[in-house]
Amino acid sequence: MLFRPNPSLGVPIYLQLMEQVKHAIETGALRPGEQLPGIRPLAEELVMNPNTVAKAYRELEHEGVIELRHGAGAFVSAQARPKKLADAVRDAQPAIAATVKRLRARGLTDEEIRRLFEAELGGHHA
Amino acid sequence: MLWYKSWLETRWRFLIGLVLLICSALSTVFTYPQVMKLLPMAQHLPVNVSGEIGRRIREAVELSRSFQGHVWSNWFRQNLPQTWTLFAVLIGTGGFLSHSTGGGTLFTLSMPVSRNRLLGVRSTMGLIELFALAFVPSIFIPLFSPAIGQHYGVGSVLVYSACLFIAGSVFFSLAALLSTMFSDIWRPLLIALAIAIGLSIVEQLSQISFGIFHVMHGESYFRTGALPWAGLLASAALSVALQYAAATNITRRDF
Amino acid sequence: MPESSIIETRDLHKVYDGVEALRGLDLTVPPGSIYGFLGRNGAGKTTTIKVLLGMSHPTGGEARVLGLPAGSTEVRRRTGFVSEEKDLYDFMTVAEMIRFTAPFFPRWRAELEQRYLRKFELPADRKVKALSRGTRTKLALLLALCRGAELLILDEPTSGLDPAMAEEVLQALVAHVASEEMTVFFSSHQIAEVDQIADRVAIIDRGKTVVTGALDDLRERYQRVQMVFDGEAPQAQFRAPGVVRVQRKGRMLTVMTSGGAEAIVDEATALHPVSVDVIPVTLKEIFLETVAAED
Repeated sequence: MLFRPNPSLGVPIYLQLMEQVKHAIETGALRPGEQLPGIRPLAEELVMNPNTVAKAYRELEHEGVIELRHGAGAFVSAQARPKKLADAVRDAQPAIAATVKRLRARGLTDEEIRRLFEAELGGHHA
Repeated sequence: MLWYKSWLETRWRFLIGLVLLICSALSTVFTYPQVMKLLPMAQHLPVNVSGEIGRRIREAVELSRSFQGHVWSNWFRQNLPQTWTLFAVLIGTGGFLSHSTGGGTLFTLSMPVSRNRLLGVRSTMGLIELFALAFVPSIFIPLFSPAIGQHYGVGSVLVYSACLFIAGSVFFSLAALLSTMFSDIWRPLLIALAIAIGLSIVEQLSQISFGIFHVMHGESYFRTGALPWAGLLASAALSVALQYAAATNITRRDF
Repeated sequence: MPESSIIETRDLHKVYDGVEALRGLDLTVPPGSIYGFLGRNGAGKTTTIKVLLGMSHPTGGEARVLGLPAGSTEVRRRTGFVSEEKDLYDFMTVAEMIRFTAPFFPRWRAELEQRYLRKFELPADRKVKALSRGTRTKLALLLALCRGAELLILDEPTSGLDPAMAEEVLQALVAHVASEEMTVFFSSHQIAEVDQIADRVAIIDRGKTVVTGALDDLRERYQRVQMVFDGEAPQAQFRAPGVVRVQRKGRMLTVMTSGGAEAIVDEATALHPVSVDVIPVTLKEIFLETVAAED
């Protein structure tokens, strides 16, 4: 379910792991109250630094996405993501797919499309 | 552990030396009857061959008249020290940190032991083996002399073997020191052998009555019954000094 | 210098035969980290490790491991080491190597020995010289991991191994570190593996450290700012600190910085570019830039 982060993206690995967990919650792969893999087994499985996994989990707890229960493990927060919002995210996907398809048909490259989205969301643009 | 490893490294040299020396000791005993038969014919040798060689031939003949003389001349003065010194150099060469031991230098150095201890264990094992090589084959002589109707005292064996071991340990320590200076095995081996052979020749050709080989042969004990205390002390001290130099070397070296 | 550093060197110098292998190396390894030590061949990685463990004597500066002087016997009692050549005794068998090594370490873990023998599938009666490179590496790793050490020092742990075997070694390392309190210090010139498991790095070039820090921190700090201009890109000097390299090519000006992009982006607007992009920089690029920049 969780994949190996890609170090050569230049994005910190713990952030990538956090994104993966959040995405899993959004798509419903992880449900509220469900237990996440332990830090040690996850580090072993993904062959990554246990400190990095721990950091990702700590940040997720800080953001309220997960709960770390002493001795029991990590669990998705009950109020992490209401099912309705997860549905909304799922429903939005076809709209996004259609937009991308249209822009490609107009001759825009994927890079250009990505920049447009990022600019729109207030990303890297002066 | 370290003792076991140093045994593994030196055992073949030790065992081969032991077998060779035992055979040689036995031959010293069992060739004596033949020597006794040949003695009368020695009267017809050209006794006026001059110089050192002539003197030696005459001396060898004289010594063979008694079994004690024969044993000293043939074994304690010749076969034993020659072979033993060779093995002293052979066993002294190498060591835990030389490349001859089948790799593992960095591994050995990563163990929590001081370099002094590495040297100490290796040297002690070598000396134990050389002690055995000095005494065990020699014991075969009193053991088997009765088989040819002769007698040889164990006490004499102990004295001569002790002289050989204590004085000869210098060559062992020399080889050990040279091994800390070079990481291959050939240079320490050849240099130590060259020094041993050189010293031996010098001692034999010159007329001096002292020298390391004189002590190793127990010559003064044979001729006068006096133990060569000064020689033994000096060689022991030299041996210790050489080991100390080896320890200093091995501690300072970078790997 | 933090008191609890596992490894600490200050201005470390080492001269071999007139060649300066270490020219003032500074290193601080905090406990519990997996610390990657990156550098080109001949940059001084192995020399540093040899000084830490007492195989070589430094010619200047200071080095301490576990709070003790580098090279002391006590350091080696509490450290596991695997050399680059996976140096072992060729004429011993696997079982004999274990029997030889275990008694030196009072904290030897017999249950780990059994576990790793099984996991690595090591043939107990095979001689070391008959083992493949990968199996030798695993044996060397077993001997290092079972001693109950607080620190593991590895010199190019996956060198000469095929990708599958390398991954097994890394996995064993990570699994071990996850369940024991220990620090790992490993040298490598494989950026990918440092990327994968290290949380802190130091890059060494010609006997000196040129970059150190937490990997995540480096990934956030090192960035490229790419500016495109209407005409020829101007010859610009950037006053913001941390500029690693400025490249001009046609209408494009690229600045690599180690101090974060914002300051550069601010200065960039004064040049009126058509567009400004901030691009993340990989560890490989950081390495290539900081090691080449000294030429």
